[in-house]
Amino acid sequence: MADVKLTIAGRPYDVHCADGEEARLIQLAAVVDEKTRTMPGLTEVRQLLFAALMLADEVQEARGKIDKVEPQSDSLRAAVALAESREAQARDELKAAIAREQAALRELEAAREAVAVPPAAANPAHNRALLQIAERIETLATRVEQLP
Amino acid sequence: MELDLDESSLAIGRIERALSRIEKALADRVNRPTPASATPAADQSALKAEVAAVIGELDRLIAEAGRG
Repeated sequence: MADVKLTIAGRPYDVHCADGEEARLIQLAAVVDEKTRTMPGLTEVRQLLFAALMLADEVQEARGKIDKVEPQSDSLRAAVALAESREAQARDELKAAIAREQAALRELEAAREAVAVPPAAANPAHNRALLQIAERIETLATRVEQLP
Repeated sequence: MELDLDESSLAIGRIERALSRIEKALADRVNRPTPASATPAADQSALKAEVAAVIGELDRLIAEAGRG
């Protein structure tokens, strides 16, 4: 524990506080003392009373402001959540688009490879047989044309 | 390779033209009066046999090409 000497409304006070909180306590005492100084000529008790009332009023006003800000804060949080959701959705759509594009590229590559494969070698024996058949059909055509 | 493909294309072209000639000759023959005994039976049989043989040869070739 730490011992702190405070002076409020001209009266000294010895108080104890947790170690490390001395500066904070002195600062708070200064706030109260400042309030009491705004009401000179009153008794010490009344100065402390009005200081307490003024500080209570400030606390209440501050709470009111917080209450007013909170709905806006909620709206902001909702907007942020919506934006994050849309960003995630956009990211998913982008991933899907990339996947589709990659699949299309793979298909294109496969198609190119298929085209690049040389056609089966023509069979020379087939070509010879085809030429012989052509000759025979030509002979047949000549014979049919010469039919009486 | 190119030569082989050209040869087969050339042969197919020749076959198509010969078939057209046959088709035209037969159509002309149908449209003109012909004596019944104008074509000897032996010639007709030989012609039919040659047509059947060519068709058979084509079928064989097509089947062989289909098997690769």
